[in-house]
Amino acid sequence: MSRFALLLGGASALACAATPAAGEELKGKEVFEQYCSYCHGPGVAPGTVQLSRTRGKEKGLLTERTDLQPAYIEYIVRHGLKSMPPFVPSDLNEAKLKALVGFLTKQEAAGKK
Amino acid sequence: MAEPLPPGVTKERMADALERFRKIVGKDWVFSGEKVASYHDPYTISNDDGRYKAHAAVAPESTEQVQAIVKIANEFRVPLWTVSRGKNFAYGGAAPVLSGSVVLDLSRMNRILEVNEKFGYALVEPGVSYFDLYKYIQDRGMKLWLDVPDPGWGSVMGNALDHGVGYTPYGDHFGVQCGMEVVLANGELVRTGMGAVPGNNTWQLFKYGFGPYVDGIFSQSNFGIVTKMGIWLMPEPPGYQPYMITFPREEDIEQIVEIVRPLRLNQVIQNAATIRSLVLDASIFSTKSQYTSDKGPIPDSVAKKIMADQEIGMWNFCGALYGPPPVTDALWTAIRDSFAKIPGAKFYFPQDRKRSPDILLHRAETMKGVPKLTEFGFLNWDGGGGHVGFSPVSPTTGHDALKQYRMVSNRVREFGFDYSGLMAIGFRELHHVTVIVYDQTNPQERKKLDELFGILVREAAAEGYGEYRTHIHYMDMIAGTYNWNNNALMKMNQTIKDALDPNGILSPGKSGIWPKHLREGKQP
Repeated sequence: MSRFALLLGGASALACAATPAAGEELKGKEVFEQYCSYCHGPGVAPGTVQLSRTRGKEKGLLTERTDLQPAYIEYIVRHGLKSMPPFVPSDLNEAKLKALVGFLTKQEAAGKK
Repeated sequence: MAEPLPPGVTKERMADALERFRKIVGKDWVFSGEKVASYHDPYTISNDDGRYKAHAAVAPESTEQVQAIVKIANEFRVPLWTVSRGKNFAYGGAAPVLSGSVVLDLSRMNRILEVNEKFGYALVEPGVSYFDLYKYIQDRGMKLWLDVPDPGWGSVMGNALDHGVGYTPYGDHFGVQCGMEVVLANGELVRTGMGAVPGNNTWQLFKYGFGPYVDGIFSQSNFGIVTKMGIWLMPEPPGYQPYMITFPREEDIEQIVEIVRPLRLNQVIQNAATIRSLVLDASIFSTKSQYTSDKGPIPDSVAKKIMADQEIGMWNFCGALYGPPPVTDALWTAIRDSFAKIPGAKFYFPQDRKRSPDILLHRAETMKGVPKLTEFGFLNWDGGGGHVGFSPVSPTTGHDALKQYRMVSNRVREFGFDYSGLMAIGFRELHHVTVIVYDQTNPQERKKLDELFGILVREAAAEGYGEYRTHIHYMDMIAGTYNWNNNALMKMNQTIKDALDPNGILSPGKSGIWPKHLREGKQP
């Protein structure tokens, strides 16, 4: 399946996604800080720089994005993209990934309320 | 594409083996099908899509489970490719040399078994990352420092076993390893050094024990599975002073290294300091497009512009002083006076740096053992994404350093890449690490890189230089250059392999060492 197809699939998955519970958001934030923030935090973190450069400054910080879709996040975490390597399921396991997806899509979910 | 099978193992036998693995670790910890994608090499070099692909992965949580898995692997002749955390991305990540292998992923074995502040050591399992160990020590307010490589998410054990280096006085990670527990291919559990004495309390204090010192044969090898390892940690020093010295000309590398050698041998330079190239340092916090829109290696005019803009040199020596201020002051005087002989040398402490972010401020944290991923900003230099390290070892002489620099940089630039490298200072040698950043999604770029790498290896070997570490794609090639006396070293390794792992189930092809049944056509 192509990444483009997954993006479209992600849109429908998002439409069905429940707003994450407060506890899940907290856990998702912890997962983000533990696994993602070193590259996707504010400032000159490598992932933030790369996204700012290739997709525009407004899309540099993942935590401020409103266009991230669950299936897309899951695909990139498991397959990697360009310089970002994949995360193995033994470490960033399915429960953590679910919490992370909830955290990174919270802005989108909030916007739909 | 269906996951490949290893030679001699049918689909049905593999399915049976995976089912037995599930009974050991639980169904959630055997990964197959789509989930294997996370174990592929993210920065692939080969254009053969069938190479370096795992069939599945199994993730045990205990030594006992590892022992049980090994026994099943022997029964079904299923090769296991062991990774601690699989974060060795410039060298293949979690991907196996032999397609069809099952990755034995030890990430879940992430217990910090002991941190001893009195003696300065930790005993860890393979899944413990530098981030984990750093947090453990910080949370408890322990007065110990780590020595970290650039990827802070990597395994403390895995990095040491792969002969990784860091940047404090404890920069030789395998050199500060002490005591192992190893699962052998037959499932038997061995403790090395003093750990072989029941009830002993010096396992992490004295390396050698009694009899042959065997720890080394479990590094960069496929002779056993290390499940516990001791690592010495540096007591927090009473004073710390990082510094950077910049040099304006490419040819300065010759004089820099001549000055480094006596200072390092006499421990005036205390740490595993580094001599870093212009593009490496510039690429951490800036991109090539900020300085030029031209393709290919940057010309001198752009290099000069970057040097002026970022207050860095063609070479930048990053070091640090550790100890009470009277000691560090005296050491600094000797270091400064020595390097002042080089025309144009400039000296900086962190407070002298006016830019933010800044290369010295970043390296100052790394040289005190703070794990990070900041260094990988270099991947943004020209947006390539993939990267691989070419890492020949050089004696600490100006002649060799300049010769290696010219050999490598000329070839790298000839192939259209920027030279981005560093010379990491050991006691008597330099690890000359050149990072080549490339677009791993472009088959032509991969082909070009592969051709370049082969030339670099062959030309280095022709001059008597060998690499200390390499990507899975080049393990056979590098092993083939260590061929003195009709490949005597490889023959000895093969003898050990056959004795310890007669069925050849442990990491076939690691470091060019193949089991007997897969050896045909391989070195020697």
